Amino acid sequence: MAADNAAKEADPQTNSSTVKRPLYEGSTQYKSWRYSPEQLEQIRTSLNVAAVSVIRNTFEADEPGSSEDVLFLNANEEQLLVKLYITKIPQLCGHFRFPEEVEATAISYLKRFYLKNTVMDWHPKNVMLTTLFLATKTTNNPISLESYTSNIPKTSSSDVLDLEFLVSQSLNFEFAVWHAHRALWGIWLDLQSLPDVSEDLRPQDVYDIAIKHVRASRFTDAELIYTPSQIALASLALASPVLAERWADSKAVAGAAQPFSATLDPTLGSIKYIITQMGHPPDVEAVREVDRRLKLCKNPEKVPGSKAYLARQVAEQQRAEEKRNKKAEDVRRAVNEGGDPFGSELNEDEKAKQLAELDDDD
Amino acid sequence: MSNRANAGGWLKGKTVRKGGITSNAHTARSSTPQVQSTSSTLFSGGVKDASGRTTEYFSMDDQCPVCKSDRYLNPKLRLLVSSCYHKMCESCIDRLFTLGPAPCPICQKVLRKLAFTPQTFEDLTVEKEVAVRRRIAKEFNKRREDFFDLRSYNDYLEEVEDITFNLINDVNIAQTEARILAHRRENAALIELNSQREEQYAQALKEQEELERQEKEQRALELRREQEIEREERETAQREIIDRLETSTKSAAKVIAKSRAEAMKRSSARSTTTTVLRSNAQLLRARAAQSTVIPDPPHVPLQDDWYAYDDLYTIRDQYDDMYSDAVRKDREGIMRAGGYRVEEAWDRALRCAVAGLDLLPLSGLNPSPARTDSIVTPA
Repeated sequence: MAADNAAKEADPQTNSSTVKRPLYEGSTQYKSWRYSPEQLEQIRTSLNVAAVSVIRNTFEADEPGSSEDVLFLNANEEQLLVKLYITKIPQLCGHFRFPEEVEATAISYLKRFYLKNTVMDWHPKNVMLTTLFLATKTTNNPISLESYTSNIPKTSSSDVLDLEFLVSQSLNFEFAVWHAHRALWGIWLDLQSLPDVSEDLRPQDVYDIAIKHVRASRFTDAELIYTPSQIALASLALASPVLAERWADSKAVAGAAQPFSATLDPTLGSIKYIITQMGHPPDVEAVREVDRRLKLCKNPEKVPGSKAYLARQVAEQQRAEEKRNKKAEDVRRAVNEGGDPFGSELNEDEKAKQLAELDDDD
Repeated sequence: MSNRANAGGWLKGKTVRKGGITSNAHTARSSTPQVQSTSSTLFSGGVKDASGRTTEYFSMDDQCPVCKSDRYLNPKLRLLVSSCYHKMCESCIDRLFTLGPAPCPICQKVLRKLAFTPQTFEDLTVEKEVAVRRRIAKEFNKRREDFFDLRSYNDYLEEVEDITFNLINDVNIAQTEARILAHRRENAALIELNSQREEQYAQALKEQEELERQEKEQRALELRREQEIEREERETAQREIIDRLETSTKSAAKVIAKSRAEAMKRSSARSTTTTVLRSNAQLLRARAAQSTVIPDPPHVPLQDDWYAYDDLYTIRDQYDDMYSDAVRKDREGIMRAGGYRVEEAWDRALRCAVAGLDLLPLSGLNPSPARTDSIVTPA
């Protein structure tokens, strides 16, 4: 691709040997939120296993033997629950009339959050509300917390605010997301520059179908594996294979081994598969079952008011208390010993004398 | 200030004035109620503010340094300033200088009575500085256009400031005066020209203000007249209604409706005249535009090490785009934020469409990022 040319050649005009890196590779989406399917599975299972063991221990600490009966969730079930709440985001956005950017960003945040946390610690309902609120802020479409919570039944502002820092932290404060719908728009504009594509070859319905596929892709893991331009191209290929091929070919460099569209085929193929197979909302019954079980295996430490939560709070307070006492002690000692609380001056003279003594020049 | 020059009193004819009695009437002085003069001499001078009035500096603990009298015993105390910038009360001045020029009791410089002016600023050094600067400004009035480059203009300004500083702080007075003289001789013509220009400009401004004031008055008059007419019409309409109700056979509601329709017609037929005002601001702008324009160095775009996929697409001027239809059709720009350009949104979308298109997805549990190789043109 021309990208490689630019990357591998030195720029003759400036006479420098700087290799220009493609812009997408500078984004956090490329650097930290790009996985292979195997990696995703591994992350989720390991997260799940670790969480289960911790919660099991907490249960044991409460009442020994109680954790035997509890059926913890496995990674797939967690995934199912998260998917349900992902499908709720577009409904909420329609209700508020948020732009598509907000919707896509919120969904990305939700997915990424659950790559770092488990459902048993944090129930997706409030996390979903928090990610949506956060997304409105980071995409520059802010609304006030009041108008947000007043429009959603049975929500208080603390539901949203309590988790906000946690969500931001889990996202590693990397809020900028590149989206496939914008890439699709770009492809649609660029099609108008192709010489052999006349207006009737690109009717509006093709775009509508393609954008539907993009929206379906948001329910899947596609954005964690592929780049937004690839997802957009795959969606277009599902709507009109001819157009997609023509456009992709126009992006190739002359003298390539095969047409560009052929190279992209395996990638696009897998994306298409993902969209068509997994781009539907989950089965409500199954999710309800999972939710029921979740109530039993939630991490009690995170539930305010439970024994474990209070115990944890007490432990934290004790630690803080210890720290404070230690600090007070330090200061008191420093002041009482007649020195500066900031530390006494270095005793230069004595050191010099000592050094002189050591110096045996005979 | 009461002028008892020829009305008897203890300073009847003995006031010796070198230049005749001049001094414009400072009528506004009488409106400063605090300071009343005990002397019959009119002391002119003082710095005028924008409306032509001078306000004198006044403080409760003023004290004449010569006779040590203050306002407590002598409420009409008025301190005046000499040309050597020393303060004295009027009675001391009268006592010392009535019989002709005499040395100043503080610095022994020989002064005449005329040389005393009332104080405008609290700080005498400021007073001195203002006086020096006004004097200098009259002579050194070159502008930027009179110099062919910025450097020489700045040198000239520095010279002027130097001279001013010397005069204010009594440094090398003789030499400085010589410099002023030299400058005057060299640039007599230019100074003349510039001062004339300044006058003309001030004149033009005044005329402008006059015009504006007149126009405003006219408009106020017209407005008042219109209001009168309206009121009269309303009264006649009312009377008509009553008459018609008396005389006609139609129903009351219809009569009222008819008269109301007539009133509407009348008010819409009345046209409003608009006056176009040339503002002071325009005049100032015209003047500023006369100064020379400094050429702008050409813009160098930011150089960085990122490849932005610019060769993979060409942006066109126009796109058939449903998303930006509303914004592009908007003639008045209501929907556009400042600095918003549709082309930038298109550019971003196009860039997004080609970004990372050739990136192979990661695979396996410990992947290392790779790119497609097939498109790299070998050599």
